[in-house]
Amino acid sequence: MTATQRAPLFDEAFLRRLEQLELASRRMTAGRMKGERRSVRRGQSVEFADYRNYAAGDDLRQLDWNAYARLEKLFVKLFVEEEDVTVHILVDASRSMDYGEPNKLDAARRAAAALGYLGLASMDRVSVAFLGDGSATGMRPMRGKRRALELFRFLSEPRAERLTGLAAAARAYASRMRGTGPMLLISDLMDPGYLDALRDLAGTRCQLSVLHLLAPDELEPEIPPDARLVDNETGHAVEVSGDDDLVERYRVRLAEWQAEIGSFVSRRGGAYVQVPSDLDLADLLFDLLRRRRVVE
Amino acid sequence: MIAPLALVGLIALPIIVAFYMLRLRRRDLPVGSTFLWQQLIRDVEANAPWQKLRFSWLLLVQVLIAAIVVLAAARPFSAVESDLAANVVLVVDTSASMATSTGDENRMDLARERARDVVGRLPVGGRITVVAAADTADVLVSETDDTDAALEAIDGITVTQLPGDLTDAFALSSALAQRDADSTIVIVTDAAGDRLPEVGVGAPVVVERIGATDANQAIAALSALRRSGGAQLDLFVAVSNPSTAEATRRLEVYADGALIDARDLTIPPGQRSEALVTTVPGGARLVEARLAGSDALITDDRAFAMVPADETTRALLIGGGNAYLENALALLPRLELYAVDEDGSADAIADAAEAGTPFGLLVFDGVVPDEPPQLPAMYLDPDQDAAFGAVGDQIENPVIDRTDPDEPLLRFVDLSTVHIGRAREVELADGMHAAVETTGGNPLVAVGEVDGRRIGVIGFDLGESDLPLQVAFPLLMSNLTEVLLPAVEGILPSSMRLGESVSVAVDPRIERVLVTNTGSPELPGATDLGVEVSVVGGRVTIPGADLVGLREVRAVSEVPELSDLPLGQTAINLFSVDESDVTPGDPQRIIEMGRVTSTDEPASQPTRAEWWWPLALAALALLAVEWLLFHRPTRRSLGRAFRRRPRRPLPLAGRAR
Repeated sequence: MTATQRAPLFDEAFLRRLEQLELASRRMTAGRMKGERRSVRRGQSVEFADYRNYAAGDDLRQLDWNAYARLEKLFVKLFVEEEDVTVHILVDASRSMDYGEPNKLDAARRAAAALGYLGLASMDRVSVAFLGDGSATGMRPMRGKRRALELFRFLSEPRAERLTGLAAAARAYASRMRGTGPMLLISDLMDPGYLDALRDLAGTRCQLSVLHLLAPDELEPEIPPDARLVDNETGHAVEVSGDDDLVERYRVRLAEWQAEIGSFVSRRGGAYVQVPSDLDLADLLFDLLRRRRVVE
Repeated sequence: MIAPLALVGLIALPIIVAFYMLRLRRRDLPVGSTFLWQQLIRDVEANAPWQKLRFSWLLLVQVLIAAIVVLAAARPFSAVESDLAANVVLVVDTSASMATSTGDENRMDLARERARDVVGRLPVGGRITVVAAADTADVLVSETDDTDAALEAIDGITVTQLPGDLTDAFALSSALAQRDADSTIVIVTDAAGDRLPEVGVGAPVVVERIGATDANQAIAALSALRRSGGAQLDLFVAVSNPSTAEATRRLEVYADGALIDARDLTIPPGQRSEALVTTVPGGARLVEARLAGSDALITDDRAFAMVPADETTRALLIGGGNAYLENALALLPRLELYAVDEDGSADAIADAAEAGTPFGLLVFDGVVPDEPPQLPAMYLDPDQDAAFGAVGDQIENPVIDRTDPDEPLLRFVDLSTVHIGRAREVELADGMHAAVETTGGNPLVAVGEVDGRRIGVIGFDLGESDLPLQVAFPLLMSNLTEVLLPAVEGILPSSMRLGESVSVAVDPRIERVLVTNTGSPELPGATDLGVEVSVVGGRVTIPGADLVGLREVRAVSEVPELSDLPLGQTAINLFSVDESDVTPGDPQRIIEMGRVTSTDEPASQPTRAEWWWPLALAALALLAVEWLLFHRPTRRSLGRAFRRRPRRPLPLAGRAR
């Protein structure tokens, strides 16, 4: 089935609810264009920021004449600049994501589309990319709700034909990205280089949020007594005897792994959110992400 | 262990372990990634057919199940105390009363079940002999320690129509018990009137008594008498009710297969009701009486009688004159009675012989001839020795002992209310046997055959007793006459009891005789349907019948005129008061036949308590645990199949595939 045959990702009511949210940006960043976010730069807003001594060439309209009257010195008033930010949305498109009921990649596309629309509606620059096969495939950053259709179309394109290489893909994206702002990684992190990928993305001065997406049977596996587990991504097989002991050990290891990722991301000022693929999208956006201060 | 060879099955244990070490062909299960699994599983890349054995609860459970199953198959047991000795003689009563069957009681089934229980209680290393006992004893398995063979023999035991007589069984058991001092005789019986031997056995006797019901009525007597002139018949039928409740039964009478009379009889408990049927056609040969409906024992609900031939015998009564005796003899249809005093007796006998009308029976009332007569004779109150034996002193007020219910002389005769003032001591000659005795063992009524002549004796004066005033008197005289002058229909008597054999003379040219039984093959225990018997020296012994009904004997010979020649017919009946009284009896009288032990408590012996069934239960429980714990995916998919509900639609219209 092609992308044009797909039904619309969201209905109107859902989009209107989305417009009431915006991605939280806990850091002030320097944008490229004038926007609705406070910038570290001084600019033209009404919010006073500081004074500095007048220098030749400064705009005389910015002089504080009241201060000159009291102190007989020329000071220029500085205001907080309001600029846009760049929202980076990265979707893991490795084959391990093309698994589960509901499908993890489908769930990731929908979450990315919703979060991207949320950025466009906030007049932020939105950059979306698929990670996989050691590279990042994205579209040019876009701005404004008029680009939403283009965003949805890009996210609906067939994917999940790539091999792993999450670390290489993240490094590739980090090296060429422009603009800072919230960075949302939607991935199952089922890759030996997941820590390298997180380290590279956290090092971009963006505010990293990791949406750790796992299928229900990855959270609560049901393994027959004698099974050969075949990796959906690599084809590699692991033979197991699905007794309760093994399943329990799996649960323990999974919890340890999630704790390890959470700790890693938190230490770098990011947010770590565990997302089951069968979680309702509305619950994710309006409840889970809001509680974790990823959106507000 | 009873079957230690089953332990060979333990070889299954290393095989199970080997299966765990062998790399199994596993089912492929696609997963998103094996990233986490690889961190859990080691040695995943081994390609060798064998792998290192790792601890597995599943392996443990399966090895445990296999071990338990093998152990159960070996039939382990522990020694527990048993009330039986090491050598057990198990006697199962198969007499007619054991055919008692009501809605919830089938005595033969109960007997088999109780006998199997005895086999189960056999001590360790014990031996058992299984005996089936009716009127005789039949050893089915002898002194075996093979309990399976004993159980198989018990399953093959069937009931007979024969009256119970434990004399043979006790004799046999006693002989077997004498070989081993540590013996117990176990008798499974309803204790309903089985005859017992007079001497006990040298081993303890344990009685497994069965049965509860007493709801039975029986045809206790059936006799066809030809009236004077012989044109018509009178049929006398008695129906007894040994139960404790009044019963109303319909009596049906058939003559040569045609129904000629039917009437309802109401019989008080413990009593009997009699009927006289006078509508039997004079030409009838076989009459049958039936009790319609059913009761606990159906064997005694039918009786047969051959109609006696129309012939009379001249009888001479010698003595001082006794009106009761004369009347009783005169009423007997077979006799043409003449009377004479002692002095004229010799002349009367000689005259009759010369006239060509000799006497067939002599009755001496209070006298004894000097010369023993060459005819059948009946002596009443003999005052001196004669052919029957020696006569001694008088006995005052003798008490009649318990009588043999199977004695033909006492057929239908009840002497329980007879009183005798004085009797004579009599020592019987060889060939004579007492039918009625005093409690001291002195014969009161005896019959027998001495020097080829039949003799009957009544050892007391009729005037010194109330016997002539009772119904028993004419019946006793009739029976005594029948014994002294047997009515022979061909080579067989007109009536025989079950199990009674007879030796008769036949034409020497006959090689064999075919004995067939007809009448009631549907009754329980009906197996003797036909047998051929060889003729030796012109005589043939007809074996006892074990089937109520009509018995017929035909010749088998190469001589054309003798081939298939009918030789005789006789009616076979149960007519056993004891067997018809199916009320379970007191086992104490049987127990007392055994050796009285020196201690109150019977010596206990170790016996086997088998463990196979709790082991089997344990194996089953482990199997259930294994399924619950280790087949969870199967269990869940089954659960989902039952609980499947329509899925809730997604709130977004996104995922249309």
